[in-house]
Amino acid sequence: MKSLLAFIRKEMLEQRRSGKLIILGILFIVLGIMSPAIAKLTPWLMEMMAGSLAGSGLIFTSVSVTAMDSWVQFFKNMPIGLIAFVLIESSIFTREYQTGTLLLSLTKGLERHKVVAAKTVILVILWTICYWLCAGITCGYTAFFWDNAMVQHLLFSVTCWWVFGLFAVALMVLFSTMAGSNTGVLAGTGSVVLVSYLLSFFSGLKKFMPTTLMDGTSMIYGMSQPGACTVPLIIAAVMIPVCLAAGVSIFNRKQL
Amino acid sequence: MEMLQIAGLHKRFGDKEVLKGLNLTVPEHSIFGFIGRNGAGKTTTMKTILGLLKADAGEILVNGEKAVYGQTATNRYIGYLPDVPEFYSFMTAREYLGFCGEITGMTKKEYRERSEELLELVGLNGEKHRIKGYSRGMKQRLGIAQALLNRPKLLICDEPTSALDPVGRKEILDLLLAVREQTTVLFSTHILSDVERICTDIALLNEGKVDIQGKLSEIRTQYRRDEYLVETDNEEGMHGLQKAFPDIRQTGQNQLVFSEKDYAPGEVFRFVADRAVPVVKIERVEPTLESLFVEVVEK
Repeated sequence: MKSLLAFIRKEMLEQRRSGKLIILGILFIVLGIMSPAIAKLTPWLMEMMAGSLAGSGLIFTSVSVTAMDSWVQFFKNMPIGLIAFVLIESSIFTREYQTGTLLLSLTKGLERHKVVAAKTVILVILWTICYWLCAGITCGYTAFFWDNAMVQHLLFSVTCWWVFGLFAVALMVLFSTMAGSNTGVLAGTGSVVLVSYLLSFFSGLKKFMPTTLMDGTSMIYGMSQPGACTVPLIIAAVMIPVCLAAGVSIFNRKQL
Repeated sequence: MEMLQIAGLHKRFGDKEVLKGLNLTVPEHSIFGFIGRNGAGKTTTMKTILGLLKADAGEILVNGEKAVYGQTATNRYIGYLPDVPEFYSFMTAREYLGFCGEITGMTKKEYRERSEELLELVGLNGEKHRIKGYSRGMKQRLGIAQALLNRPKLLICDEPTSALDPVGRKEILDLLLAVREQTTVLFSTHILSDVERICTDIALLNEGKVDIQGKLSEIRTQYRRDEYLVETDNEEGMHGLQKAFPDIRQTGQNQLVFSEKDYAPGEVFRFVADRAVPVVKIERVEPTLESLFVEVVEK
């Protein structure tokens, strides 16, 4: 346990001193502010464009913006946040393989599964803090300008998106134990998400796909019910430990 | 007592057989020079001892305990310094040693004291900067400090001096010599002068097998050919000797070598004394590691 904590502390120090923590912090704060900001600015933007659009036959009377628009924007922004998160953290394992820094720790008797555990813990903590910070900021501004009460299943849909992020983290860990460079990690994680996304276009498969968890917009409009997320949530809850266990098993046999 | 015993070690990478039944015995408290050409299999052997590579066949005993691939429990006896040690460059030397102490399960008090001791030993105690800015020599010295942190019984160094300048090399060799009291040192190298300087025992690795192994002094005696070298001050002296002893061989400018089998040394020395041949030196020829190495490699 002591060695695991030591490795987690080392990871945290690395995140801090390499500047990744600050970059992630700024990014998610900006995303959090952007969602209500864009919603707030929409009428003004429309007004600006009204003149030129009138020429093409489009006429704006009045544009009313609600809390819904702010949250729709939030769910549009989140994929950017997750992609940036995966990009920034994709080398969390592979950089250690490439530089050979793990060699000294492992030859000192650090158990291999603790390396996977420590890095997973750090990724989960970072994702959780970044995501909820972003969601919290959006929630605060939205409540200030409008009223969150009209948004249906808000907490549930936001939580579903967070679970999807955890699923992506588990995929990152799994592919990190397989790949030698971060390109492999990005390709692996990206393809699983893409395949899941493409398969969800088939209505029969959609209810099984974890990517359904990203569809917060339909839920806040009440177009889909929380029940639609039950199966994807269960699948994600099963897949996350499976990916991590497979990752540990692969990492135990990895030649470094 | 033997600190490390390797028997019949085989390792193959694809169709290239790197180790072909390697046998090696490292006695306790020796400084063991593991000599071989580049690509002879030195690093492969060391990584297999540390459980970083899986052996195809053979057995490795560290301090009498079997070393296995993957979770290698015998690593608790070993301190390892790779050829190019890589540290977390965002840490300072003290932080890094602290991290190493924590993952090996030392208490805070233990690793703090030991870190100070070792940083002083390797001359990094005044260093406050992060490892990022360290020179190769400094990294190598920090490498020795981290390897010695938990007082290992066996210190394995992979070519610790090959990338260093003469000053850095001397520092590392002096360090290895200094830690001999505390531990057994196994280090690989192809720099023979380093071996002659500090090693008590050697093994010559050639084509995946150990060809010669033992105490350096015994190997020297064993391979001594009972030859003497006479170097004269001028050519006349040399010609005089060549005339008197036809079987004497010229090996360099004014340098002659004769074997005890051909002439009794006393006879030659008497000739030199009687004729007052001006000599620079007369010495018994010691087999150099280089000659031994070349002999083994070319066999």
